[in-house]
Amino acid sequence: MGAAIKSEFRKFFTTRLWWGMAIGIFVSAALFSGFFGWALTSDDITADQTGVEGSATQIVNSVYTGGLSVGYLLMLTVGIMQIGSEYRHKTITSTFLSTPKRVTAMFAKIVALLGIGAVYGLISLLGSVSVGAMVLSLRDIDPFPSTEVLRTLALSLLALGLWALIGLGVGILIPNQVAAILVGVGVAWIIEPLLGFGLSFVDALQGVVPYLPSQATNAMVNGVTQSGVEVKPLSWWAAALVLAAYAAALSAFGTWRTVRQDIS
Amino acid sequence: MTTAQTTTSTRGARIEARDLTKTFGAFKAVDTLSFEVEPGRITGFLGPNGAGKTTTLRMLLGLIHPTAGSATIDGQKYHDLDHPQSIVGSALEATNFHPGRSGRDHLRVLAAAGGLPDSRVDELLELTGIPAAARKRAGEYSMGMRQRLGLAAALLGDPRVLILDEPSNGLDPEGIRWLRGFLRHLSNEGKTILVSSHLLQEVEQTVDDVVIIANGRMVRSGAMSELRGAPSTIVRTSDPAQLAGALRVADVLAQPGDDGELIVETTDKRLVGDVALRAGLPIWELRDRKADLEALFFELTEGTNRNLGDGNAVPTATAPTTHAPHETDAISGQEGANE
Repeated sequence: MGAAIKSEFRKFFTTRLWWGMAIGIFVSAALFSGFFGWALTSDDITADQTGVEGSATQIVNSVYTGGLSVGYLLMLTVGIMQIGSEYRHKTITSTFLSTPKRVTAMFAKIVALLGIGAVYGLISLLGSVSVGAMVLSLRDIDPFPSTEVLRTLALSLLALGLWALIGLGVGILIPNQVAAILVGVGVAWIIEPLLGFGLSFVDALQGVVPYLPSQATNAMVNGVTQSGVEVKPLSWWAAALVLAAYAAALSAFGTWRTVRQDIS
Repeated sequence: MTTAQTTTSTRGARIEARDLTKTFGAFKAVDTLSFEVEPGRITGFLGPNGAGKTTTLRMLLGLIHPTAGSATIDGQKYHDLDHPQSIVGSALEATNFHPGRSGRDHLRVLAAAGGLPDSRVDELLELTGIPAAARKRAGEYSMGMRQRLGLAAALLGDPRVLILDEPSNGLDPEGIRWLRGFLRHLSNEGKTILVSSHLLQEVEQTVDDVVIIANGRMVRSGAMSELRGAPSTIVRTSDPAQLAGALRVADVLAQPGDDGELIVETTDKRLVGDVALRAGLPIWELRDRKADLEALFFELTEGTNRNLGDGNAVPTATAPTTHAPHETDAISGQEGANE
């Protein structure tokens, strides 16, 4: 098991993808936290009734996790590619030759992706906390109003890992890597948020909205909320469980399917 | 005469296929195929393209689930091997590399999975002759370099069994020679080696045994020497019947062949010559008769190639119905001496 996990990490860190992603995640985290740090602390936004509402902690949470929505899309891509590039370049053959127990091989991928998610999470925090704290300090706002902020930072690492697992499932469901990335990112970035927005206007289906992946991800890090919106987000721990359930379902499905597959 | 004695570290491991069958929908890719591959020998796994070779190899390696039957290596299914890399090494296709990963890193990924040190990786890069290319991205490799990298990957865990799918594809003549010597060396260590090819001539000089399949079914298996048949001699003379009679007296059997030839069941050309001289017959030609393996292979495999459709078999007009004698080793320069 340990050997298979080590092999998965090596796979990831021996192509150029990893540092391209690292730069993307770092830059987006820094930019978004800088932007949110400035925007959320502007008087004309918080005072406005149509604006956002949240405690000091929630504002800081939002600033530090401002790049999370870009981050999780990138992690979705990483997850897809960890399996998709194996199909594409047929390295899946050597993976299963060196680890013939496919459940073990897939479990190694799952563990490695959680680890990779955490690594990228740290890179992202490096960007967001340094820039965000600086901007907040310039605004004379306490950059660490409570220890709850630390919980949010830790959960953002978990969220990235879980999105990578969702990607793993998508990558197995759609074996063509390019199609999987287009569909995966398209759904997660555009369709699902629009769906959530639309459903929030339907009384009968409103209750479903907080359980959508993007909503759960935002609830996990407990940021500011849009004032005037009816739908109450889940509490952080419930949201974490919901996202973990998506990740578990998709990666379990992927593992089940991979074990049965003929590799030719 | 199983070998594998006298060898040092390697304990022999057999490959055994029992009634292996694989159907894809209505298509029977492999049909109740049974064969064994012995340690210390190189076995050629032969058949035309689409005969089911790769599917069979992938079933041996647990990559494709058989519809029926089983395949074991050293008595175990591949899936159940705890340290597969130390039992079986395989190279299936020379294209299975991430183009953005260096050859060395590709091996390091596999080494990690097998719990092997990086020093073993460098050893194999050296052994397969590609240390210079080790740090280049695999996308830039030539076909020959990919083959060598694949071979290095197969040998990482110092396996007892080696399964190679068309290993000489893309190698230059020098590389093929190198590969031949390399495989012979490994087999002398007692390793079990299975090499697939769609050309019998290509492996003719390499293999000890053959397993020949066509349309997913076994058509022939056994030692290469068996396939070649008993060596005999071709002689041409003015009166074949008389010479045959004279030879029979000397306890040597002979049958008439094509075109006035006489096929003599011996390799002792001197004896044939002496008998002819005593009988007062001229010798116009005296040479070894060798089975034409290419023709034999076609005959065994091409009959009804399912991949070419009915009634559209490859025109093998030149392939006779029996083993065509191969014109080699003419030792006597008496041809046409009378004319």
